Amino acid sequence: MSRAPAAVPTVATLPAPAASPDRWRALTGHPLRGRAVVGVAVLVVALLVGAVLSLTAGRLGVPIGDLPSALAGTGSRAQTTVLTALRLPRLGVAVAAGAALGAAGAVFQSVTRNPLGSPDVIGLGAGAAAGAAAAALVWPGVVPVAVGALIGSVLATVAVVAGAGGGATAPLRMVVVGIGVAAMALAFVQYALSRARLADAQQVDAWLHGGLDGRRVADVTLVAVALVVLLPLALALSPRLQLLEMGDDAATGLGVRPGRTRAAAVVVGVLLTTAAVTASGPITFVALAAPQIARRLLRSTGPGMAAAALTGATLLVLADVVAQNLPLPVRLPVGIVTAALGGVYLAALLVREWRKGTV
Amino acid sequence: MSGDGTQDRLSAQGLRLAYDDRVVVDGLTVTIPDGSFTVIVGPNACGKSTLLRALARTLTPRAGAVLLDGRPILDLASKDVARRLALLPQSPLAPASITVEDLVSRGRFPYQRLLRQWSADDARAVAAAMAATGVADLARRPVDELSGGQRQRVWLAMSLAQETPLLLLDEPTTFLDIAHQHEVLDLCAELHEAGRTLVAVLHDLNQASRYATHLIAMKDGRVVAQGAPAEVVTAERIRDVFGLACRVLPDPETGTPMVVPARRGAHTRASSDLPVPPSPVASP
Repeated sequence: MSRAPAAVPTVATLPAPAASPDRWRALTGHPLRGRAVVGVAVLVVALLVGAVLSLTAGRLGVPIGDLPSALAGTGSRAQTTVLTALRLPRLGVAVAAGAALGAAGAVFQSVTRNPLGSPDVIGLGAGAAAGAAAAALVWPGVVPVAVGALIGSVLATVAVVAGAGGGATAPLRMVVVGIGVAAMALAFVQYALSRARLADAQQVDAWLHGGLDGRRVADVTLVAVALVVLLPLALALSPRLQLLEMGDDAATGLGVRPGRTRAAAVVVGVLLTTAAVTASGPITFVALAAPQIARRLLRSTGPGMAAAALTGATLLVLADVVAQNLPLPVRLPVGIVTAALGGVYLAALLVREWRKGTV
Repeated sequence: MSGDGTQDRLSAQGLRLAYDDRVVVDGLTVTIPDGSFTVIVGPNACGKSTLLRALARTLTPRAGAVLLDGRPILDLASKDVARRLALLPQSPLAPASITVEDLVSRGRFPYQRLLRQWSADDARAVAAAMAATGVADLARRPVDELSGGQRQRVWLAMSLAQETPLLLLDEPTTFLDIAHQHEVLDLCAELHEAGRTLVAVLHDLNQASRYATHLIAMKDGRVVAQGAPAEVVTAERIRDVFGLACRVLPDPETGTPMVVPARRGAHTRASSDLPVPPSPVASP
């Protein structure tokens, strides 16, 4: 590349480009790309298909022809009951918890600069499960189960950050310490289950496998409210997290304060994870895979909070449809389906990262 | 500007800089003359990159302060600082598969607000920065696919897109071959001529002497000399600072000081430090 030193235009002398400012870009900071539009369209269609299947499939499902009237409340009473008492809360929790997990995964993977650094791998889900188990079984009635889950995930986060040393600046150590924290938290869960009464233990055990059975409107409300508050915060942090991926010095040079940004992101990520886990149990895989799938589908180069949330919702809804309709004698909780998928995905990811030399 | 009684924009007073328990710089006071192309030189581990990082606020001093426009830089809003002072760090990480244009666009972050993330001004600044660094033709290419020299110009474009009067560069020529080193330094000289104040850390004394208008020589965390390259670069000082016996000749191309190390036998330090091989091979 040769430059003509005499004719180098300075920033001040160059004419403004003719292109008119793009409204989308003005709002989001990202140029509107065909690839991303197609990716989002694919996700939205998949989510809608999954949602319709979730309402219509199975023995109790409302036939698709009756769906509009049943949704409008003018259908048969049986169908309306199935929708309002069973299927809609189930779908609502799947969408909201999936979105929260997807966004939390994007936050943590960005902070740790590692696709393995998602909340389920670094022990947040397990911490929340341990907290919930403690609140439900070990010291019942002291705090609500949701608060117990929050305490558990906060403690797990503190343990991971402290164990890794240096306040979240050592991504890989966070992942390694997180795996240890997760193991300890799950051991505590087993302890809690072993000393509980059988009936209580069964109930908590079902929740621990990540199930969407018997969800009520209150569960939807909890995670939906959390999402409405936290997702905008995650979106607002997104440009800063994107710059932090270039290294702390480069980000500081551009006006980001790395420590503050990371601390805020961890708080938002912990709360998102806790809300999802409280409503749906510790579902693995979604937080791990959603941000990566979103990045590849949209070919984006940032944390992509909104896309990760949409992908997470789609993944969880589809996984639940699969779990509900597998031709098995026993219906599986969705968490077992996602865990099985996640095991395969995690193995593939580890192999790839190992080849690249980052693990 | 400098000399007419007003304060220079960037200076440091009584800096103590340390990594964990290791104090690298203590009690250092330095001023970057406005409108200069200042180059900081010195032997390895003398604290030159550490000083640059403190000037760019990526390292917080244990004592003392860096002043930007007369105020402690850490008291200013970070985005506000980023509109006046840009930093090209030593080894920034390009996100996987990001395009040149997207990376350069990130230089506009200090101008973006929550509900106005992109404007015509941003587009103009990015286009101008890419034109000035000669990477406009690469705008749609992924940064991973570029050569080292091209990549460095892209990072420089990102810093230029910040449109700051001050630009700090931490060893901008590392990992580049000699042709690309000079290409980047020529570009820096052009940016300096266009009115920016540049501060760079460089390893190569001859390049430093050729391009700098103001040279700061450091040793063991202290400034041992500063001024025009012709005043700072003398054979005696090079021996003091680097422990290298040399002659200083005028660069035949530019007339700036050029360091020519003395031949092997004359290296006093090297000859006394090296062990004598047990059985010297006879030379033909």
